[in-house]
Amino acid sequence: MSIQEAPRKAISRLSLHRTRWGLLISAIFVVVVILAAVFAPLVSPYPPAAVDLLNVNSAPSAAHLLGTDALGRDTLSRMIYGARTALYGPIFVILLSTILGVILGLWAGWAGGIIDAVITRIFDIVLAFPALLLAILAVALFGKGLTAPIIAMSIAYTPYIGRLTRQLVSGEKNRQYVSAYQVQGFAPGWIATRAVMPNVLGVVGSQTTQNFGYVLVELAALSFLGLGIQAPAADWGNMINEGQSALVAGNFLPAMIPSLAVVLIVVAVNSIGGWLSDKLGDPFA
Amino acid sequence: MSLLEIQNLGIDIRVNGLTNRLLHEVSLQINSGESVALVGESGSGKSLTARAVLGLLPAHATTHGSINLDGTEILGASKAALRQVRRTTAAMVFQDPRSSINPVRTLGAHLIEPMLQVPGSNRAELEARAVGLLGSMGLSNPEARMKQYPHELSGGMLQRVMIAGALMNDPQLLICDESTTALDVTTQAAVMELLSTAVRERDMGMLFITHDLALAASIADRTYVLRRGEVQEAGDTRQIFTAPTADYTKKLIASTPSMRSGPAAGVHTLPSTEGAELVLKVENAFKTYHPSGQPAVKAVQDVSISIPAGGGLAIVGESGSGKSTLGRIVAGLEEQDEGTMTVAGGQIETGSAKERRLARASRVQMVFQDPYQSLDSRITPAKALERVLKLHYKLDAKAMKARISELLASVGLEEKHANLLPRKLSGGQRQRVAIAKAMALNPRLLVLDEATSALDVSVQAKVLELVNKLRRENGVAVLFISHDLGIVGEICDELVVVQHGRIVESGPTGQVLNHPAHEYTKSLLASVPRPRWAKDEPVREPADNNSY
Amino acid sequence: MAQSNLATALPPARARADKESTLLANLKMIAMKLFGFVFTVFISSVIVFFSRWLVPGDPINFLLRGRSPNPEAIAEVTAIYGLDKPPLEQYWHWITGVLQGDFGRSLQYRQDVTDVILDRLPVTLGLVVMAGLMIAVLGLAAGIAAALFRGSWIDRGIIAGMSALAAIPSFVGAIVLIAIFSIQLGMFPSFGSGEGFGDMIYHLVLPSLALALSFIAVVGRVTRSAMMEEFSREHVEVARSRGITEVAVVFRHVLRNSLGPIMTVSGLLVAGLLVSSAIVEQAFGLAGLGSLLVSSVDRLDFPVVQAIVLIVVTAFVAINTLVDLLGPVVDPRLKAGKGAR
Repeated sequence: MSIQEAPRKAISRLSLHRTRWGLLISAIFVVVVILAAVFAPLVSPYPPAAVDLLNVNSAPSAAHLLGTDALGRDTLSRMIYGARTALYGPIFVILLSTILGVILGLWAGWAGGIIDAVITRIFDIVLAFPALLLAILAVALFGKGLTAPIIAMSIAYTPYIGRLTRQLVSGEKNRQYVSAYQVQGFAPGWIATRAVMPNVLGVVGSQTTQNFGYVLVELAALSFLGLGIQAPAADWGNMINEGQSALVAGNFLPAMIPSLAVVLIVVAVNSIGGWLSDKLGDPFA
Repeated sequence: MSLLEIQNLGIDIRVNGLTNRLLHEVSLQINSGESVALVGESGSGKSLTARAVLGLLPAHATTHGSINLDGTEILGASKAALRQVRRTTAAMVFQDPRSSINPVRTLGAHLIEPMLQVPGSNRAELEARAVGLLGSMGLSNPEARMKQYPHELSGGMLQRVMIAGALMNDPQLLICDESTTALDVTTQAAVMELLSTAVRERDMGMLFITHDLALAASIADRTYVLRRGEVQEAGDTRQIFTAPTADYTKKLIASTPSMRSGPAAGVHTLPSTEGAELVLKVENAFKTYHPSGQPAVKAVQDVSISIPAGGGLAIVGESGSGKSTLGRIVAGLEEQDEGTMTVAGGQIETGSAKERRLARASRVQMVFQDPYQSLDSRITPAKALERVLKLHYKLDAKAMKARISELLASVGLEEKHANLLPRKLSGGQRQRVAIAKAMALNPRLLVLDEATSALDVSVQAKVLELVNKLRRENGVAVLFISHDLGIVGEICDELVVVQHGRIVESGPTGQVLNHPAHEYTKSLLASVPRPRWAKDEPVREPADNNSY
Repeated sequence: MAQSNLATALPPARARADKESTLLANLKMIAMKLFGFVFTVFISSVIVFFSRWLVPGDPINFLLRGRSPNPEAIAEVTAIYGLDKPPLEQYWHWITGVLQGDFGRSLQYRQDVTDVILDRLPVTLGLVVMAGLMIAVLGLAAGIAAALFRGSWIDRGIIAGMSALAAIPSFVGAIVLIAIFSIQLGMFPSFGSGEGFGDMIYHLVLPSLALALSFIAVVGRVTRSAMMEEFSREHVEVARSRGITEVAVVFRHVLRNSLGPIMTVSGLLVAGLLVSSAIVEQAFGLAGLGSLLVSSVDRLDFPVVQAIVLIVVTAFVAINTLVDLLGPVVDPRLKAGKGAR
């Protein structure tokens, strides 16, 4: 079986980077979310789990800028604390999968032959496990929380980076500039890491920001399913889940606000990624 | 009234709000039965002119002037009128047959598709005509070919299919846009033969677009020389090539070896190499590749060559002859399966892997075909030279700087080029950088693998000049790998002709070119396009006086 | 003279031999792909089964987490899973059972896993099939329309719409659809899968739409970009230069040649479709495989988790193997054996 390389570019989601304003707004939004996450205890009006039983399912007011949920918790405060888990998980997954993927992909693409065949086969097998499914399996094994899903998702995302790197490296390897370095007596290891790797990292980097959006959505989905980080901790995914009961009661805000936040952060990160990939070169151009 | 009448054609293209004028007031006529060549270097607008004749212009192009094809005004014609013209009046054969035919449909479908759309057409009749045309194009088994897919045929065969497709509708005008450029020399000769026969037999007009002056001279009654969208010179082909008036035409002709004089130009006077020690000695080398799932490829079979210090050896062959593999073996990029190779007086087998690598590099250097690919795109020339020098020599900052300047100057580059990224350099400048990098190590032998074939003719001549200068000044020996018999005489004293991985003939360049012994060498030489007025032309044109 | 050495005629005998060897090469390629399928599924089953050993401690404690382990229960579980036997034998026991349709016993339902799964299968199948149809029809239509009117306001509108859709994760889509169509408009139910076939379809409209939304956008954009790429190919210009009508150019040359990438991407989407169905089932309270997986994780029913993971992986790999096998039909260049050059 071979799961062929999808034209990931075509799958990429909404991106606003082609207009200056879109890019600027995206960047500002990402910075605001990062700042909110980092300084959550300082900027959040209430503790995220504080219950105000007098104000259950309340509409936005001066006291609760974004209203409260079915338990009377302040939606804004929960959003601010939720930003922490929303960013924390994807950052780890992206770092781990990129490091692993680049090392394995570079190795496979440069060495070729049996090493390439083995690594490619391993990638194929990992690709047979959708990332969210592997994360669910990890939760089934190790219990709920963030650590097991993060490690599982890192493994699941490694082949995407690894295959891209391998494909780029084996393409570069046949370019004449590599032969030119060889003829001049440069060591193979030097050529691979100093000449070839910098030429592929730009493209890998832009793929990485794409993956950030996917990971964020999938971790939020896990939390929506009740398998991610556990209550009373705030997370956008489980806020949407809990908000569903308020929804039936006619209070849309507790579900809609985190939904909107997930969509916006993904669009914003992808816009920055799209801008990066325009700057750094397109793998499929 | 002529078949094609282009008058004061101008084409502008708007890109990012800027208007580029690509054609300036081009006028051109072709009469029925007349072959007209349009020659120019890349970017001259020759292809654009060809496409304009069929109304194939990009959507953001604006035009003025007039293109009258057999009574139809093409500029501003309706879609239906254009379709009519394309189906019945004119047909075009493009440069790369491999990308010109839909890869997922059969050749039969390709051939009959346009005519099948004409109301009242009959599939069986069209198929029969297609089979007949394929046969007359010299393709064996034409019925079976109809069911084949493009990837099952070679480039030369596909171009014959393209020509058959163009002839399906009996056009009055055949437009050939660099139609033989992507083919090997012998294939090119055969396809040229087909084209001229088809034009003669059907009394078609032909617009022949090429960058190759010799090719134009071999087929065209009249020639237009185009440069940057302007016609520099127009007139009788022989007149233009034997007595050019425009400076640009003169320069072009001077840069084309086979136009400058007959084949087998005299070898340049280079220092005598007799009695010198050998810088390269390859004996009985073999190399076989085993691509997975395909039959083994015997790239090099029992090849022995040697080059004396300061000497020049050319290896000539068509694609797939193994000439490049041989070059890569000499440069140490590939290992021969069998046989011995001695470089510059001693085998490089002792010492650590690193010592062997450096020793080899300091003796043999290589310049590659495509200057757009052989330079690391992120590294400036100065940085690239510094990297090489650092690897091999211990130089202090000052000496390093001086050496870099010296090297750049020796290949005719200026200080201002030193810190530009490759993408800011022209093809010729890039190839100079590649040569400077190779010469940085003072090698005894320089391998040039088709090092000039990606360049425009005028640039090609200058790079060859540079190589000769380096040979004289540094005494570096040259192994020159090429498909082009026309230019090897410029640079090499000795010549080796290879076919299917074997040497079929070797000897002093002048002797091989003037008195070829082997059939293959003869056919290669016969394939070099020659002006149709050349007296020593025995084969191609039987008395052809009815052109005008 | 030069003509004859280029196009040498194949003697009939050799042509036949070539045909036979091509057939053999094709069979060999199919066999290789099927072997690859079996190999990947086998390794996946090993991973799924032995993943349990990653958790430190006694397997009995692991399987009976959260339950009060009375001696009978321990004895039963030990007997069913052969926990007293060596690991390889346990795997053999499990995998031979799986091959005969026996996935073991569910700990939460005290039934055979197979029965529990079969019970839930129709809803998930209905959901995935309905979503798949919506994706194929709407995605292809949007992509083709955008490519046909490339550069116009229709194209820009479709791109903008698809970009917006693609940014909506299925759980957000579910919430929004429930808010609008169930709660505000009251047109569709927001919970359960209904009684009987017709009612099930009715109940599945919103869930399958929620599931399909982002995938419609993906298929639409892949179709558009594959067609746009094909439009820029030289053979398309050649076709135009020969007076072929634009309609024929679009369908016979552009769309026909774009089928390969469209199929490949669609195959890969199946993974997302199968996994996202869990999210949609959860949101709409549907009793399907996905919600069974979630509740089994929740209730520590590992045998069911194992079974569903293996089924999803196998289905995903099988569909991609199928796409792979169909490749040469869509693109003859992928056929084995180069043929007469």
